[in-house]
Amino acid sequence: MIDRPNAPTVSTRTSRSSGGRGGNAATTAIFVVALIFFFLPWIAAAVFGFTRPGEGITAAPLLESLQNPKALPAIRDTLLLTLASTLLMLALLVPTNIFLNLRAPQLAKVAEMLSVLPLVIPAVALVSGVSQFYRAVAPAFINSLWSLVPLYVILSMPLCYRAIDAGVKALDLRTLFAASSSLGAGTWTTLLRVVLPNLRVAMLSAALLSVAMCLAEYAMASLLLHYTFPVFLVEVSNNNPRGIAALSFITIIITWLLLVAISAMSRADRATDTATDKVRKN
Amino acid sequence: MTAAVDALTPDTPDAPDSTGPEPAEKKSSRFTFRTLTSGSVLGALPFFAFVAAFLIIPIIANLIRAFQDPAGRFSVATMAEAVGPTYRQAFWLTTQLSLLTAVIGGVLGVILAWALVSADGPRWLTSLVSSFSALASQSGGVQLAFAFFAMLGTQGMVTGWIESIAPGAMAEFSITGFLGVTIVYLYFQVPLMAILMLPAMGGVKKAWYEAAASLGASRFQYLRDVAVPVLWPSIIGSLLLLFANAFAAYATAYALAGGSLNLVPIVIGFLISGNVLLNPGLAAALVTWMMIIILAAMGIRFLLTRKSDQWLSN
Repeated sequence: MIDRPNAPTVSTRTSRSSGGRGGNAATTAIFVVALIFFFLPWIAAAVFGFTRPGEGITAAPLLESLQNPKALPAIRDTLLLTLASTLLMLALLVPTNIFLNLRAPQLAKVAEMLSVLPLVIPAVALVSGVSQFYRAVAPAFINSLWSLVPLYVILSMPLCYRAIDAGVKALDLRTLFAASSSLGAGTWTTLLRVVLPNLRVAMLSAALLSVAMCLAEYAMASLLLHYTFPVFLVEVSNNNPRGIAALSFITIIITWLLLVAISAMSRADRATDTATDKVRKN
Repeated sequence: MTAAVDALTPDTPDAPDSTGPEPAEKKSSRFTFRTLTSGSVLGALPFFAFVAAFLIIPIIANLIRAFQDPAGRFSVATMAEAVGPTYRQAFWLTTQLSLLTAVIGGVLGVILAWALVSADGPRWLTSLVSSFSALASQSGGVQLAFAFFAMLGTQGMVTGWIESIAPGAMAEFSITGFLGVTIVYLYFQVPLMAILMLPAMGGVKKAWYEAAASLGASRFQYLRDVAVPVLWPSIIGSLLLLFANAFAAYATAYALAGGSLNLVPIVIGFLISGNVLLNPGLAAALVTWMMIIILAAMGIRFLLTRKSDQWLSN
């Protein structure tokens, strides 16, 4: 999704000749303004978070915010939730996707439609429904921190389902299974040793998308009264605004790096594909 | 990041409908629902059960609750109360915020998209801007709110710059007010618009301009009679998505303004987390109205993108 916008850009950037110097200066000016707009808040966060009047550059506000007794449990819980949600997402979506594409393509269409549904249902709406229903049916579930795991899987599903689906569709599953069984492999051997290794880029992209989403999720955690890292940020922001600015800066950089890693990975994957195609042709 | 995830909506409606139901049906015509065996239903069961338990059933439970009175009988009183005088103001303010950020974000986003498809400059600059547009369009959330505090808050970096140039200019401005929240929303709305418009604007072919010019059209006439008519379904569709995106955003607004800004998602949040003890169905009714508005916007967008996909696919 990150590299997609590049595609039309690259393909059309040579298609223009009229406009000339004037158009060029205008586009460059627009780019400069856009980049300033994209970076300035984060630069401000870094400057504000890592300085203090009279002290110059200092990490003291950041360290103070981490010394808050609630900080480390919140970070630990967020990391555990992220790990559990990502594993559940993979365990649910990968087998389902392979199975549906192989055995029931008519259900795959239905599953794809369902998977994008969370995009039109705001997080606030889902929380409202979940607390209406589960408070009546299973109140212990909603009071447990782990109730967030399935909800995070639902929230990340539109992106993760598509990442895995794209990987599975790129494979010719029937041919893979036929070729593999002609060499004597059973269904499970084929799945574990042929299909899954071929899906590693798709699975890693989906996992990183899920991680990026889970680390920053605020609405559901705070409305269901669970204390995660973003909830901690909002609660402490009034006492130590500089420390929270520093933490915001660090977490957004981590998130951006994760997302850049996805686009680099899928590009590298495509590059190897074209390379092997060339080798095959030769 | 909640808004960020909403922000990714762009890909979704386009991709599934652009492949369209027709070709898919032709391809899989030998797999009708009658050929489903019990085995294949069983394999798909975990996924469908999961979606039912954590998405479909909660939404239906919410819908049922919205149309009940406190005693559990069918009633439209709660739905009526949700748009009554107490909450009408919240819907109006949220609509204003969503419209304003969609329109300003839309105009600036189209300009950015135009620059991206027509740039002659160094290639690295173009891909840098398009990559960061994609990142920024997903960067809503509490961290963005705190970055804007550091930039435009009372002790903010840019506030300091402006005060040193024009003392008193920022006295009226508050990042937690309506104008402040509008500016913060534009941080993700502008790049989102640009990314949504890139495929359509990339599909406008240079040959069309040459053809129009060879018939004597000026640049303005080309824009008015060719480019804009072809692009308008994409533009309106993308604006609707921006509108829905702003309408649903919770984390950014809450981290910025707390309870001081009377927005629908924030009011719903107060009702759910139990800060207000009133009719328990009220949150459900507000959520239902909010989903009606968002689904209406997305439904119109769906129809419009189908049209523009037809035009641009040839």
